[in-house]
Amino acid sequence: MNRWESLAKKLVQRALKKGAKQADAFLQVGRSADVRVRDGEIEDLTQSTSKGVGLRVFVKNRLGFAWTSDFEPAGLEAFVDRAIALAEVSAPNPLNGLPDAKDLGKWPDVGDLYDPVVASLPEDWKITVSVEMEKIVRAADPRIKTIDSVGAGESVSEVYLASSTGVTGSYQGTSVYLYASPVATDGDQLQTATWYDAKRFFSDLEGPEAIAKEAARRALRLLGAKKVKSQKVPVVFDPTMAASFIGTIAGAANGDLVFKKSSFLAPKLGQKIAPDTVSIVDDGLMPRGLATGPFDGEGVATRKTSIIGKGVLDAFLYDAFTARKAKTRTTGNASRGYRSLPGIGTNNLYLEKGTRRPEAIIKDIPNGLYVTSMLGHGANLVTGEYSRGANGLWIENGELTFPVQEITVAGHLTDMLLQLDAIGDDLTFRGSVGAPTIRFKELTVSGE
Amino acid sequence: MARTAPKTSTAPLLAFPLIERLLAAAMERGADFAEVYVERNEFTAVSLEEDKVKSAQNGLSQGVGVRVISGAKVGYAYSDDLDDEALFRAARTAAFIAQGRGSEKSFAVSRTPLPTFYRLPTHLADVAIAKKRDLVVRVNQAARAQDPRIKQVTGSWADSTKRILVANTDGHLAEDTQDLCRINAYVVAEGKKGERRTGSFGGGGRVSFEHFDTFTPELVAKEAARQAIATLGAKDARAGQQTVVLAPGWSGILLHEAVGHGLEADFIRKGTSLFAGKLGQKVASDLVTVIDDGTMANARGSLNVDDEGHAPQFKVLIERGVLKGYMYDSLNAKLMGQKSTGSGRRESFKHLPLPRMTNTYLAPGEDSPEDIVASVDSGIYCANFGGGQVDITNGNFVFEVHEAYEIKKGKLAAPLKGVTLIGVGPEALKNVTRVGNDPRPDPGMGTCGKDGQSVPVGVGLPTVRIDNMTVGGTKVGGAK
Repeated sequence: MNRWESLAKKLVQRALKKGAKQADAFLQVGRSADVRVRDGEIEDLTQSTSKGVGLRVFVKNRLGFAWTSDFEPAGLEAFVDRAIALAEVSAPNPLNGLPDAKDLGKWPDVGDLYDPVVASLPEDWKITVSVEMEKIVRAADPRIKTIDSVGAGESVSEVYLASSTGVTGSYQGTSVYLYASPVATDGDQLQTATWYDAKRFFSDLEGPEAIAKEAARRALRLLGAKKVKSQKVPVVFDPTMAASFIGTIAGAANGDLVFKKSSFLAPKLGQKIAPDTVSIVDDGLMPRGLATGPFDGEGVATRKTSIIGKGVLDAFLYDAFTARKAKTRTTGNASRGYRSLPGIGTNNLYLEKGTRRPEAIIKDIPNGLYVTSMLGHGANLVTGEYSRGANGLWIENGELTFPVQEITVAGHLTDMLLQLDAIGDDLTFRGSVGAPTIRFKELTVSGE
Repeated sequence: MARTAPKTSTAPLLAFPLIERLLAAAMERGADFAEVYVERNEFTAVSLEEDKVKSAQNGLSQGVGVRVISGAKVGYAYSDDLDDEALFRAARTAAFIAQGRGSEKSFAVSRTPLPTFYRLPTHLADVAIAKKRDLVVRVNQAARAQDPRIKQVTGSWADSTKRILVANTDGHLAEDTQDLCRINAYVVAEGKKGERRTGSFGGGGRVSFEHFDTFTPELVAKEAARQAIATLGAKDARAGQQTVVLAPGWSGILLHEAVGHGLEADFIRKGTSLFAGKLGQKVASDLVTVIDDGTMANARGSLNVDDEGHAPQFKVLIERGVLKGYMYDSLNAKLMGQKSTGSGRRESFKHLPLPRMTNTYLAPGEDSPEDIVASVDSGIYCANFGGGQVDITNGNFVFEVHEAYEIKKGKLAAPLKGVTLIGVGPEALKNVTRVGNDPRPDPGMGTCGKDGQSVPVGVGLPTVRIDNMTVGGTKVGGAK
């Protein structure tokens, strides 16, 4: 048992001694480094070590929570007392408490999450690779006159959990990333685009050349963007925008919002809400996934959950407290950092791929919009209204033509799910949410 | 309740001799400049939902960040361990970017006196949490009492008492204690056929706890409930270009996005903002004067000192439509041959300072708000905004409007739903055709995000009319 694990256990024991009926401690330690370059030199280089622990206590069914980054023994005693005292301020709720033993499940073997290559990357790797990306974006086209940022980084993190119901666990993981945001100008307009990749394993990471070239291509093709007339047309989201849309849908499957009737999906469990081709999965077990781990923020075994299966709304996502309220069982979706109480979140989330090539999805469209970036949060999960600013390319006769900006794309999430009439075979993950190209049969584009 | 920090601590966060030695260590490789930033931040929060106080929370974050600048290169390292070994490791790690010859220079620092735009008799961390809980309980009661159609209430309180110390190799050392709080009500109203509408309101600032004797939980709850009830039965908005009128106060968030970010010096230096190279040029209508003021008493975005040790300022950014100045942190100021405007801010010791806004507002004009609405034959009145976002490079910005009404022949008519505004910053500013005589700061709700860093900001606006604004909606066509 290392010192962090024993510290987490000690905090829980002390909380019990001080009068808590139940307690859990969630402790994180890590280190990270990030560099950005400009004009072939370091712009900034940041390195850090960090740690913190959050302690959740239940005293007479009241919840208290405290967190700290101060691990001095004297401070930690007062810290436990503080958590206990805070519980007195909140209301008793018989549904409060840690997950029941029967819900913890058997922790799955999720394979390696830690890449020794990432953990021991040489200091100059980040700098070399970033300088290379900057060179490539600048060389891509004379219209690339400056960059917003180009950089790379890595992190190593460890998670420890201890609870009064006997949970003791830990895992460590790595992550590594590259990003490039060049700025293109034609003397009249400025346009930017960001391209990036983030993975747990170095060998899974896309190379600097691919990242840089794609970033440049995406910025350049927006030059000359203009507004179009307001109209209802077929709209295609590229995989990054599709991933954002899938994230919105999964947000509405949050069991807490559902319980409060604050999700438009609340009354639809078991109903057909999308075409057969639509399956949305939350997968905590995905090998090498950025959000993969053996247990959730409360020590419950992670799993693979079908949110929408072949168009049918299969499940909502729960943590232990919300599951008790809703008279169901936790799905192992308690997400947590040391500074916060567990809340419901997704792990590796994706829309299963379809069978059509992305070009074929566009080819069908006589007049429509291809969206490559969006602005604003745009979705009201309570009402299902969706409206976001969009940039992209106009589609004419099955071809991508001129760039567009200063428009919005709007619809109702209920209709949008039903209108998903084409799904690409190009599922990709950049981060922990993945999706292929998708097409909506008809959305409202607002412009002139 | 128990607290770890002494009530009125005057001891510095880090001993001055240690700071001086850290600065010397950071300069060992011959950099131009080094800075030590020390922070200790205590947070308290209470949340209520489903008629119950769900949780009371407390957190403590502390750490040190060391920044080293050599030419245009910046090295930064931070640690939340405060022992000498960890601190000197951070200083030497940050120094890595400098490649000069060894230096054994020593540095002395002395305290810079600060103005006091906020000084609370009792720090918020020292106010009993039970009192904070009571405010949240009152929010719930008042919102539910307002209307039986209010089906759900979420009340929240959050405060922080942050002590900072910033010292640099120019010899300056500044210390400040920055209290900040906010109360909030979020409600869901249910109308006919299961229709649901939401309302949200809140506020606070760098204010003492007594602020909530006048800015009461009841007032907050009533406003949130009013918004939700008023928008029940709202119609779909018509997509396309329309004249819009912005309500005073919180609508200033539009100004923050549409022009504010594009005037921050990092974007200007890198040439990534469409406002770069336009000083002295006309970028807005004659009616537009934009100010960023870090010195407003007790405002959410105010500072006694910025996170680089510089004094905050009252800055005119745009005067009668002409671009007058940008917002500078010290690094970008130096690289551009300018002076810091006291705009260097960071979320915490875990972050590098960036040029940021403080309290940004539009100066008042001459029209009465009634006249402005009456001047519109057909358009949209935007009473309450949700979030917004800007792409500072192409200038596109968007806003979600949570409470909107049709304007028909100079009068407010039916509520509208799903309204989004989109525009390009300078074009929207050129289309400002009326500015009201009713200046109003927001109630203290704003948090601004940039490069992954969140900082509290203030915004403000009188009633404003903007022509030819693109309105996103789901309905196409119909009478103009």
